[in-house]
Amino acid sequence: MTSAAPGGDCCPEYAALNRRSVLRGALALGGATFMVGSATVSASASSPTPASAVLVVLSLRGGADGLSLVVPYGDPGYYNARPTIAIPQGQLLAGTTDGFFGLHPKLAPLSAMWNAGSLAAIHATGLTVANRSHFSAMEEVEEADPGSSARIGWLNRLVSTNSDGSPLQGVGIVNGTPPTEISGPVPLMTIGSLDDASIAADDQWDTDPAGKRRRSLHTLWDHDRSALGVAVRSTLQATADLTPAVAAVDNSASYGGSHLGQALAAAARIIRGNVGTEVITVDQGDWDMHVDLGNLDGGQMLGNADDLATSLAAFFGDLGDQAGKVTLVTISEFGRRVLENGNRGLDHGWGNVMFVAGAGVKGGRYYVDQQQGWKPLSDDLESDLHVTTDYRNVLAEIVAARFGSPVSKVFPGLAPRTIGFMQGA
Amino acid sequence: MPSHPPATTPRTPGRRTVVAGAGLAVGAATLGSPALAATRPLLSTQARHLVGRFSYGVTPALAREVRGRGGARAWFDWQLSPGRISDRQGDALLGWFPHLSWSTSRIAAENDSGRVGGWEVMADYQNWLLLRRMKSRHQVLETMTEFWENHFNVPVSADGVYTYRKHYGDVIRARALDSFESLLQAVSVHPAMGMYLGNAVSDKDHPNENQGRELLELHTVGLAAGYDESDVVDSARILTGWRVDMWDTWAAFYDRGSHYRKPVHVLGFRSANGSGDGRKVTREYLHYLAHHPATAQHLAAKLAVAFVSDTPPASLVRHLAHVYLRHGTQIRPVLRALVDSSEFRHSVGEKIRDPENDLVATYRLMGVDVAKPTDPDRAAHQLLWQASTMGMMPMSWPAPNGQPIAGAAWASPSRVMGSMSTHYTMAGGWWPNKGIHYPKPTSWLPAPTTRFDHLVDHLARQILHRPASDTLQQACREAVATGGHEQVDKNHPVMLWLFPRLLTTFFDSPDFLRR
Repeated sequence: MTSAAPGGDCCPEYAALNRRSVLRGALALGGATFMVGSATVSASASSPTPASAVLVVLSLRGGADGLSLVVPYGDPGYYNARPTIAIPQGQLLAGTTDGFFGLHPKLAPLSAMWNAGSLAAIHATGLTVANRSHFSAMEEVEEADPGSSARIGWLNRLVSTNSDGSPLQGVGIVNGTPPTEISGPVPLMTIGSLDDASIAADDQWDTDPAGKRRRSLHTLWDHDRSALGVAVRSTLQATADLTPAVAAVDNSASYGGSHLGQALAAAARIIRGNVGTEVITVDQGDWDMHVDLGNLDGGQMLGNADDLATSLAAFFGDLGDQAGKVTLVTISEFGRRVLENGNRGLDHGWGNVMFVAGAGVKGGRYYVDQQQGWKPLSDDLESDLHVTTDYRNVLAEIVAARFGSPVSKVFPGLAPRTIGFMQGA
Repeated sequence: MPSHPPATTPRTPGRRTVVAGAGLAVGAATLGSPALAATRPLLSTQARHLVGRFSYGVTPALAREVRGRGGARAWFDWQLSPGRISDRQGDALLGWFPHLSWSTSRIAAENDSGRVGGWEVMADYQNWLLLRRMKSRHQVLETMTEFWENHFNVPVSADGVYTYRKHYGDVIRARALDSFESLLQAVSVHPAMGMYLGNAVSDKDHPNENQGRELLELHTVGLAAGYDESDVVDSARILTGWRVDMWDTWAAFYDRGSHYRKPVHVLGFRSANGSGDGRKVTREYLHYLAHHPATAQHLAAKLAVAFVSDTPPASLVRHLAHVYLRHGTQIRPVLRALVDSSEFRHSVGEKIRDPENDLVATYRLMGVDVAKPTDPDRAAHQLLWQASTMGMMPMSWPAPNGQPIAGAAWASPSRVMGSMSTHYTMAGGWWPNKGIHYPKPTSWLPAPTTRFDHLVDHLARQILHRPASDTLQQACREAVATGGHEQVDKNHPVMLWLFPRLLTTFFDSPDFLRR
């Protein structure tokens, strides 16, 4: 154990600690058995607190077209607005049509989960007021704290309700910079790939048992007050704790070669490594289809939908004995316009679909707001899919059902409305 | 562990000497190394700050250039007229990548025939950009080209843009120190921008809103200007007509038949827009946007974030916006006002070095030289993969907002690990290892035999352009388990198998990663 112990005097970010941190501190004294809720947890001296639930948040970046992924074939407005890119009813994925909605045929790899009832779709979700700017909408969605200038991501708040000082409690699998949703005062981990998650020169040639390299880096950074100082200290701590995840079997070959597949394969290893991670973020890009969204004969939607379904199916098949803990939700900054433009594409719109899969999901069906129902689509230039479900209510239902965290702390100001897609909600 | 008692009372240079030694090598004079004192004077902290923010690393050679120009501020003014500064090393780099001199039609033909993929041309472009930043004498021009090319981001991977992307970058470099309006007029109707944001296929009946929206939100007035959806639609309508014959001839042309011809109204801009030739109304609209106070505010804030701090004072932003408007969108007066501000002077070390600057500065400050590539496996072709390890390849940010310029975005564990990995791999000279020259460890020795703490101080002066702090001395002692007073020569373990561990410590320090 070479990383700085949480609660030590080196680092300001570990000043505030709570239940999980007490547990973790106790575990550090030696192997022991503890009661956590109704579960008995045994842990060795250096292992982080195991997570009882894991939430994976998959962001479809660029504004995915929810009307292509979950097609409202029962609404003639859909076909009127999209003369060249609508998906005919007869082509929708067999076994997923309910008289009104059906899945895009390229989501076929998810058929088994749909039929088994572990995949649900909630339609017409989003921000309560349309925001068509990618960047502003992403911030608004991921901070999920309207009216606040605190700039804290909702997953950072979620972790903070139960923080043990381990950056591994939240892991962003990133290809560049961390997403807003995990950013905030609780230091969390980001990795590009699991195999690169280590400190250079902290290797078998560093023969000092105390770790010369780590000690040197602590000297350089322990008193640095910048955000980079926080990141370096998180890295020093998290890389030491990440060993079981790095050692977990890598099944990425079965995911397809996409970025999303590789990220989800890494997520599965982290989960199987059981290193205390409660929250994982992954991204799938390239959903901003102003041009050539296309149809079933060609276009960008085919590849994206196929990648999404193939990667998700592989992920849920790769969780081993941890599968019962893991829930995944998809989110996008906005949906797209109902009316197609002149380029077989769609401009920025409003409402969207969210998929929820895995532990606790009452799936195999579509959900829309029960009071308002489905608002018929129109084909004027600025027509949108009207949002009837505040996206925060989807997230809040998962948070309440799986983590038991206080929704009011994670989503300040939200008046929760139960949608009913989670067991125990 | 061998240890030799010091011959004289040690005097470890610390932060005190940084302050005391402003402009002069006061610290070096105490080290008993005459060669050091004679050849390695340091710039003052303020001079290092200015040159560091507007370059890719303050090398000893750059410091000499700054002194030769009469100081940092005079150097900066000199750099603002790059046309008068010969740059043979920077100019020669174009010859390293023959694809970059191809015409659009040649690039398209080579791609279509499968001989040279468009992505290969783009990889050359990305490597060429990194090499320009590394080797060009036009350090301020390269810095500002990077800033504007990111502001008007067109990712190299966007559909079809490989045909025009190098030209697009040239257009920006040629105007990067000129006026914002000249930049805006040139990039907004450029085929690369049009292809990326859908304007190249937009038309009057179904205008593609993408560029019309980002022109307002990202390129000019910003969201705070308070435009609405009808403004966005009219913005897109004004831009209709600028087309590219994508995937066929790749010709860029103005198509009167595609241009929307009815009155338009965006913020305070109105036009009857009655002609099928909308080029004039496009120019008038872009002129209006370039001179809009909200644009001034937006750009001033962005420049302040890029070159002062992540949270620049509102007073500075107001001042820069005022200068921008008063000088008709000219860029040079704004940059002068920025570096002359007290806010700038008080921001020493407040910016986090982003990955691309980190990579280029590592090459420059490690004294690693990249040679003209003879084969694809040479270092000149590998730079972008190193940048990728650190978290970002040049011009590959996948969204129109460009990669973050606020440092906090780059203060993540993944970036930290990527940077440390790259630093260590280069400190060992392990990779890239073809078409590249790394200095021998012994070339870093200030004398055949030197005390370890003197060696550390010598390295700090060359790499970090400051004397070694007490913290850095301690971190170096720990990294290689060597006493500060130990005598080091070419046969000492520190100069042999431990040297990469010592060298990488400087690049992993706050003094390098913060600027």
